[in-house]
Amino acid sequence: MTNKLKKVGAVLSVLLPMAAAGQAAAQSNNPITIGVLTPLSGTYAPIGQQVKWGTELAVKEINAAGGINGRPIRLVFEDEEANPSVATRKAEKLFQSDKVDFLTGVVNSGATIAVGQVAERNDRLMATTVSLSDAITGARCSPNVFRVNAPGGMQALGLAAWIKQTNPEARVFAIGPDYEMGRNTVDGFVKQAKELDLNVVGQVFAPLGEKDYTPYFGQIRQARPDVLYTSTAGNDTVRLFTQLQEYGLRERLTIVGASVAVTAQNIGAIGAAAEGFVTVAGYSPDIDTPENKKFVADFREAYNADPDLYGADSYGLIYLYKAAVEKAGTTETAELRKTLRGFTWQTPQGPKSIRAGDHQAVMNVYVLEVRNGRFTIKESIDGQTAIGPDTCERF
Amino acid sequence: MHPANTVVSPAAPAPARRRLGVQHLVIAFPVLSLTFASIGAVLGETFYLRLATEALILAGLALSVDILLGYTGLLSLGQALYFGLGAYTAAYLLGQGAVGFWGALLSSLALATPVALLAGLVAIRSKGVYFILITFGLAQVAAKTIYNTRELGGSDGLVGVPVLQADFGLFRVDLGSPVEFFLLMLALIMGLYLGLNYLMHTPFGRTLVAIRSNEHRVRFLGFDPWRYKLAAYAVAANVAALSGAMYPMLRGFVSPELLYFKMSADAVITVIFGGVGTLIGPIYGSVALVGLRTVLGSWTEHYHMIIGALFMLAVIFMPRGIAGLFERKESGPAQDEAERT
Amino acid sequence: MARRPSVRTPASASDDTLRLAPGTSGGAARRETVMTVAIEYLQFVLAPQMLNGLTIGVAVVLVALGLSIIFGLLDVVNMAHGEFYALGAFISMSLYSLGVSFWLALVLVPPIVIPIGFLIERGLIQRVYQHDQRHVLTLLLTVGLSIIMEDAFDLIYGPNTMRPENPLPGSTEFLGVILPNYRLFLLAVGVATILATWLVIYRTRLGAMIRAAAFDKHMTASLGVPVLRVYAGTFAFGVALAGFAGVLLAPIYSVFPTMGHDFVLLAFTAVIVGGIGSFYGAVIAGLLLAQIQAISSLYIPPYWSDPLLFAIMVAVLVVRPQGLFNWMGKG
Repeated sequence: MTNKLKKVGAVLSVLLPMAAAGQAAAQSNNPITIGVLTPLSGTYAPIGQQVKWGTELAVKEINAAGGINGRPIRLVFEDEEANPSVATRKAEKLFQSDKVDFLTGVVNSGATIAVGQVAERNDRLMATTVSLSDAITGARCSPNVFRVNAPGGMQALGLAAWIKQTNPEARVFAIGPDYEMGRNTVDGFVKQAKELDLNVVGQVFAPLGEKDYTPYFGQIRQARPDVLYTSTAGNDTVRLFTQLQEYGLRERLTIVGASVAVTAQNIGAIGAAAEGFVTVAGYSPDIDTPENKKFVADFREAYNADPDLYGADSYGLIYLYKAAVEKAGTTETAELRKTLRGFTWQTPQGPKSIRAGDHQAVMNVYVLEVRNGRFTIKESIDGQTAIGPDTCERF
Repeated sequence: MHPANTVVSPAAPAPARRRLGVQHLVIAFPVLSLTFASIGAVLGETFYLRLATEALILAGLALSVDILLGYTGLLSLGQALYFGLGAYTAAYLLGQGAVGFWGALLSSLALATPVALLAGLVAIRSKGVYFILITFGLAQVAAKTIYNTRELGGSDGLVGVPVLQADFGLFRVDLGSPVEFFLLMLALIMGLYLGLNYLMHTPFGRTLVAIRSNEHRVRFLGFDPWRYKLAAYAVAANVAALSGAMYPMLRGFVSPELLYFKMSADAVITVIFGGVGTLIGPIYGSVALVGLRTVLGSWTEHYHMIIGALFMLAVIFMPRGIAGLFERKESGPAQDEAERT
Repeated sequence: MARRPSVRTPASASDDTLRLAPGTSGGAARRETVMTVAIEYLQFVLAPQMLNGLTIGVAVVLVALGLSIIFGLLDVVNMAHGEFYALGAFISMSLYSLGVSFWLALVLVPPIVIPIGFLIERGLIQRVYQHDQRHVLTLLLTVGLSIIMEDAFDLIYGPNTMRPENPLPGSTEFLGVILPNYRLFLLAVGVATILATWLVIYRTRLGAMIRAAAFDKHMTASLGVPVLRVYAGTFAFGVALAGFAGVLLAPIYSVFPTMGHDFVLLAFTAVIVGGIGSFYGAVIAGLLLAQIQAISSLYIPPYWSDPLLFAIMVAVLVVRPQGLFNWMGKG
């Protein structure tokens, strides 16, 4: 019996120091782990793809330049499946099993809010680069959630302002999908439009996933609008636009809408009917600054595709994290949070800063129009004007 | 030795056998789970413990499906309705701070029964396929309604459910601790299993099985199948609601996806995988599905196809499920039906 | 100049649908105003709506017919029926990318879908026919099938929306009502297909075999009819109808992996309301329900249209469970 013990002891006395050494070795190479929880399958996969590319490009560049304070960044990807239940499960895995220091990539607004809660429970920070719901930095804000992209409210403001500027006498009609997000977006736009004294002649809601919009054309035709605002997305937008064209209504309308209405996912299917569509977004690959030109060139070379707002904002976020961690000197949550509040950093689209009161990034936004199947910049709107009030009351 | 009503009921419980039987599965489950929990506790593991807890919550939904499918012969493609009902009730009340652990559970049950009776009134009248479609439709309509109701969180769902302490008088369970929650859920599921198993061996349960075999004969014997089916439907709804109430306690939120067809279909899949009509089978099936998803999901995004294919293969080649492999001649209600016809 | 009815601007942003109120302004020529308003209403709102309902109805009938036939004859609830509708659309997209024209695709897609349906029925679904639980098992099999098919579409074609160009753009104006040319075409083709199906089922030997097998399969088998092959063929035919509808509707409804869900509720409701296995039932119920949905969307908030359909289904099941018409085998 004692012989066995001696043998075990001998083995342990060799293994333990080795393990300790291994541990130490791991420490010196200690990467910062960032979890990217984003849709890798399903309808939102194209958005997730851009998020993936944006984050990967930034990490590649940063690691090549020495990392953050000498520590390389390691990305861990998980599929959000645009489903809050799946997202929270995967978020837990990222925080607890993969021990990520920071989390980003979440697209679905409901998922962002739910994952924000998981982040709070795990005492970690997260940021979204896509989610539009105003509630994320408004009614449902969280001390652990940051947003670097332009929320729905900013887009509404921008669009209303643009209509007022270009066609102040226009008759405006709004249509949106009949669920909470769709109604919020339309309500937000209508409110802005009325504040600017625009002539809103009607609004209508269609069920989410509606395949046939022709029942609403009678009302639209009767209202004789010049401008149609829509907050439909994906397939719904395809059907709305092409059916408007079918019935000969498309030519008479200028269609404006939320940035989700027309994206790389559906612009091909919409085809000619998308020409002239106007939206407001925080980014365009055509932004004429040297930083953006370089970014677009690098992106194209790496992935053979143009960056869109999701790719650019995700890229910018990684750089935000780097700059903030370097300034704070740590990845520890409370310190980092303090540093991030009011922080300004450089992105391909210019400087952005995080508003301390609600963790929402303030940035210039651009009025974009579809010409020949791609978005072109019409003008830019100053961030401070477009940002809207801080409605977050939790902190 | 056999009571007089054996004429309409299946055989008495299986005599002890040297080969593996279903009863071994029943014992194995808590043993395996406790082992798992101990390892988890020692390692300080949280993620897998919570994942396993979620599997147990879903097992409750599976049990609810099995009561109807395996014993009463009714396939419900909408049990997620009650699961979601329980989940939303608990989440809403807990979020408001209006109730604690027991209050949430009781409220969910209190809501489930009247809804089930109301829905059952319509659904149970319908035979076979129509019943299936009505349950399917009910869940879809409820999901859509919740999706469009702002007060219930709309498409974003409800967040902000606090972490609870469950007070059992003599001791408290901290639901924030992964091990404690897991053990609580394990106890709950085993308790449900034992209770339901007992119920299925009472005259009530045996009548259900008889109805599943041949409803007309049952009527001739003086029983009103309609009442029994409705009662079974209500019981199943309560089991689903109870499990549903535990979900926000674990995850801190609820969303309309909990009522979608996918949820109901998953429950049915686990029942088939595990073994229809065995009660313990669906519990294993639930754990198996969660495990399979996690493993497959880490390899590919298109794991749904694989699960769908496995499901189809199971339906064709292994319709009695995992538990079916352990079943011997005596046990299992469907076996007796086959023998009798 | 006819007076246009003024449209009431919603007072608050929470107004749901824009409900049309005839414009009023007091005073003379009130009767003329009401008349004009009524005509304009008919012209701008009701007539297009009804025509639209008719077009959608025809599409629903194509899908519901297949479902009803499969249901009635094979006693199989095909939960994957929507996926076969999608399959037709996706196959047509592949054909278009190979340079095939829309017209050719219309003709080619059904013969491609038929063997697929045949093999699935023969190879998979028939395996559980002998089981005592066959109703449940066949339903579950088709559930599994729908899961696989939907994910397969996502895998093979990607999640982006696709849409073939409208082969008949432009519209015709008739009595002031605008009718897109493609929808008129759809109506014509749909009606023709329904008639053709009717001919096959009621006027051919094949149809007689199908109806006989539905009525009494043992007797039919003993008369030398290869019943199993008839089953597989019928399934194939039913899903081919759905696939054909998919090709027809793709230019106006576009193509994406979850498109199978579009018609499911409507189709199932039409089958139940019309009577399982009933040809006339599927046709009439399909047209009726589509009309109800189209017209009701003018007056009630849109998200109530699904619950409304469901309520109709339940009502029929309670009042007359066998549906409006008799079963094809008997009828």
